[in-house]
Amino acid sequence: MYDSVIDPTLGPAGDARGRTALAPRPGDLSGLRLGLLANTKRNAEEFVEEVAGLLESQHGVQKVLIRKKPSIVEPAPPEMLEELRAECDVVVVGVGDCGSCSASAVADGLQLEEAGIPAVVIVSDAFRVSADAMATLQGTEGYQYVTTPHPVANLSRQGVRDRATAAVPEIVALLRGPNVAPAS
Amino acid sequence: MTAAPRQVDGRAGTADDPVRGVRGAIEYCYERGWSDGLPVVPATEDDVAEFLATVDRDPDEVIGAQSHLNRRVTVAQAAVNAVMAGCRPEYFPLVLAAWEAVTGEPASRGGAWQSTSGPAPLLVVNGPIRDRLGINYAGGVFGPGFRANATIGRALGLVVRNGYGIRPQELEQATQGVPGRWTMCIGEHEELSPWEPFSVAGGVAAGVDAVSALLVRDCEYIDNRHTESAEAVLWDIADTLARTGAYLGIKHSTGGVVLGPEHAQFLAAAGYSRADVQQWLFEHATRTQADLIAAGKESHDRDPGPDPFPMMPSAAEIPVIVAGAANAAISMVFRPFGWSTWSGRSVPVPPARDTATDPQEAPA
Repeated sequence: MYDSVIDPTLGPAGDARGRTALAPRPGDLSGLRLGLLANTKRNAEEFVEEVAGLLESQHGVQKVLIRKKPSIVEPAPPEMLEELRAECDVVVVGVGDCGSCSASAVADGLQLEEAGIPAVVIVSDAFRVSADAMATLQGTEGYQYVTTPHPVANLSRQGVRDRATAAVPEIVALLRGPNVAPAS
Repeated sequence: MTAAPRQVDGRAGTADDPVRGVRGAIEYCYERGWSDGLPVVPATEDDVAEFLATVDRDPDEVIGAQSHLNRRVTVAQAAVNAVMAGCRPEYFPLVLAAWEAVTGEPASRGGAWQSTSGPAPLLVVNGPIRDRLGINYAGGVFGPGFRANATIGRALGLVVRNGYGIRPQELEQATQGVPGRWTMCIGEHEELSPWEPFSVAGGVAAGVDAVSALLVRDCEYIDNRHTESAEAVLWDIADTLARTGAYLGIKHSTGGVVLGPEHAQFLAAAGYSRADVQQWLFEHATRTQADLIAAGKESHDRDPGPDPFPMMPSAAEIPVIVAGAANAAISMVFRPFGWSTWSGRSVPVPPARDTATDPQEAPA
């Protein structure tokens, strides 16, 4: 009945984004090279560093590099992605603790998976909706990530360590598998 | 297809009763999530054509992109959303210029529309276009009652919502958001301003239609009407500029002022140029390091800076605009979002193409 009303959401076609297949999961993390991808939010680097320390001591991974994204909103630039792809077996991304960076962290996780690198994204639980919206936008509804309670920015180093400790079991589980994203 | 009667001002006049079905069409738009909460004007092809006729632009021209969201918006899409916002066709050149001004601001990049900070543009219009379109620059300049002010900013908000797909509580994560979000469009009261138009600082000559955009996070009034001291008024403004709440513990805070005409004329009469006002405010909008520490906002920068600490980045980065009625000594401090308060670039507005005369009907 209202067919003559123009849909204001219709713009130029974007790139087709099919569902991202997750990278094959290693059964065991021991001896694997770990990369860290942090954003510029306060405590993000500290958080992924604490996670790395625990993965090293508990699971025998070896941290080989940490990179800080230049933009809070864009996914990691191609050269950074290439560096992670070339030098790492698994990557931990975090911490999505703001409006745009939570969505952006999910985009990073998906582009790493697409490049064949098993990745785990850490998002604070206040930003689940934004992270899920990005996963859907990227064609991969239901993409799994690890949440930590919000806020993260005001934590002391000990507080960050406690959060990392709590998050590690889930991080390990997502890094090891299962090698399927839930069907949308 | 038979030739439909030519539409004039959205009124084709074909239906027996054009009012019947209006509410249903509005509800239709609500159901699809196209509204910001207020009713939108359902846009038809005829409406959009009427808007596009006011500008000399390719409807398919891409005027904005959010690559991380895989979304781009075009001139035609801006027209659809301007119709929906309640604009008149002749506002459309200004809508496009305002969009250009907003997207040209560094603060609008990097996730501004998704940010917990919840900023929105403060659009400042200069030039004769204010009177031509009925843009309020006098009494109640921030308030309702003026169609152009209310709908031009709204059109940009609808482009972000519908064109980029950034909606509240989804990809848009504003914790509270600035009051008046997407409706802050004011004219500068050039007639009562003692200084040159704001847009001159933005590189557009006085008397030329222009729009400037600043992303802001709040507005706060300064009511100071009983002193005879210009410095007392400036001190009062500086005090608000320097409040710790707006400082994040990194770099510096930001601030700008929309002076009411009375304050502006009072300061000018005391010998202050706009640059003098900016300089005075920069020098006095300071806080002690002890104050910052008391607020839990000790600097996180490697160099915590001097004590007292200048809260504004520089004199030149305190925008000073004049608007409102000359009926009380009231001004407004606003708080720009991001580290760069304003790009310093105003965008000229091309005149609307004359659509009143159809070229085919014009005498040879």
